[in-house]
Amino acid sequence: MTTPTTQERLGTDLSLRRFAHVGDMLPDVENPSPLVRANRVLPDRDYELFLKLEWLNPFGSVKDRTAAYLIDGLARRGELKGRELVEASSGNTAIALAALAALSGTRLTTTIPDGVPEEKKVILRMLGAEVWETPDDLCPVDNPKDGAIALARALAASEGGTRYAATRQYESEDNVTAHYATTGPEVWRQTGGRVRWLVAALGTTGTLVGAGRYLKEKDPSIRIVGVEPEPGHRLPGMKSFAEASIPAIFDPKAVDHQVVVSDDDAYRVTKEIWREEALMVGPSTGAVVHAVSTLSLEPGDVVVAISADSGVKYTSYFEDILGEEGRPNP
Amino acid sequence: MSTDNTTEIESVELDCEGLLCPLPVYKAALVLDKLESGARLRLITTDPGALQDIPAMTRQRGDTLVSADDEGGRQLFVIEKGTRR
Repeated sequence: MTTPTTQERLGTDLSLRRFAHVGDMLPDVENPSPLVRANRVLPDRDYELFLKLEWLNPFGSVKDRTAAYLIDGLARRGELKGRELVEASSGNTAIALAALAALSGTRLTTTIPDGVPEEKKVILRMLGAEVWETPDDLCPVDNPKDGAIALARALAASEGGTRYAATRQYESEDNVTAHYATTGPEVWRQTGGRVRWLVAALGTTGTLVGAGRYLKEKDPSIRIVGVEPEPGHRLPGMKSFAEASIPAIFDPKAVDHQVVVSDDDAYRVTKEIWREEALMVGPSTGAVVHAVSTLSLEPGDVVVAISADSGVKYTSYFEDILGEEGRPNP
Repeated sequence: MSTDNTTEIESVELDCEGLLCPLPVYKAALVLDKLESGARLRLITTDPGALQDIPAMTRQRGDTLVSADDEGGRQLFVIEKGTRR
C-alpha cells in the first residue's frame, strides 16, 4: 500500500475554499473570479456595471488563465520536453508562467519592456525567472515597437531551439481558448445571461477574442468593446495598435467597438475606483471603466468590465500621479 | 566574454555565434554599457542581420564602429565606446 500524498489527502473542496495545491485555485466556471457591482463610480447612470476581479486569481491577474492554457498546450503537443519557457510579457503573463513553471520544476526567461514597473520585475525574480529588460526600439533597423517580442523569438530560435519552449501568447490559439473556455462562460453564468456589454483592455487580445466569441455564440447581440491606449502611453499590459503590431490571434470580427483612452483619463478613473468602490485596481481597469462612460448604453443594460490586475504592482506609477496628495500639510 | 587588460586600450570580446538578431544587439549593448569611454568591444556574430543591426546600433548609441568584416558567414565587429553614455 502506498502512502497518500498530502495533495491526495487534502483534495480540493471549493465549498470550503480548500485546495490541494495552488494550481487548483486557477479560475474556471466552477471556481470563477468574483464579479462585483460598481455602485458609485460613473454616477447618475441607469445601467449596471460589474467589474470582474481577475486580480483575485492565484497569481494576481487575468493572465493566470492564459498561462495555464499556454503551458497545457505545449505539454499536449509534446513541445515542452523539459525545456525552459520563454515569453515576451509586460509582466502579468510572465508572473503566472513563472509561478506555474516553479510548480512544475522548470524556469521562465522573460523579455520585458523596460518601461514596466520595478514591482513586476522584482516579483518575477522572486519567482525564479530570468528577466531581460528590453527597450521597445531594440531592433535599430526594423524598429518595430515590439523589441521584447523580437527578443523572445530570437531566444527561442537560438541554440538550435533546444533550450527554450516558446509559449507565444501573441500567436497561440491556446490564449484565445483559455478565455473561450473559462472567462466567457463565467461571465455568462455570473450574470444569468443578462450581460449586454463586455469591455476589456486590448493587449494580446486573447481575453476579448476568446470570451467575446463565447458570448456571441450565446447571444449575437452582446457588444464586445476593446480598449486601446494612446501611442506613447504608460498603461502596462495594453497595446496601442497605432504603434505596435496587431497580434496574430486578433480577430476583428470578435470585437464590435474600439475605444482609445488617454493616460490621464485612465489614471483619474483608477483613483476614483480606489476611493469610491474601495477596489484596489490597476491602471488598465481605470482605462476600461472610463471607456464604459463613452458607450451608448441603454437603461438596464448589464456591463461587465474586466479588471485585469490589481494596483499593488503599480505603486511606483501611482506615486507619480499622487504628487504631494495624502501627505500632511503643516 | 573575455577581457584583455594588457593593452593600453581596454578590449573586451563577446562571442554571439549562433545567436539570432536582436540577441547580439541586446548583449552587445549590455557589455558596452559597462565599458569606459574609449574602450573597445570585439563582437563576433553569425546572423547576417547583424551586418545591418550592429552599425545601426552603434550610430543610435553614439559609439564608433571601428571595423566590420564578414568572412564566410562569420562577422567580426570592433566597436569603440563613445562618450555620450
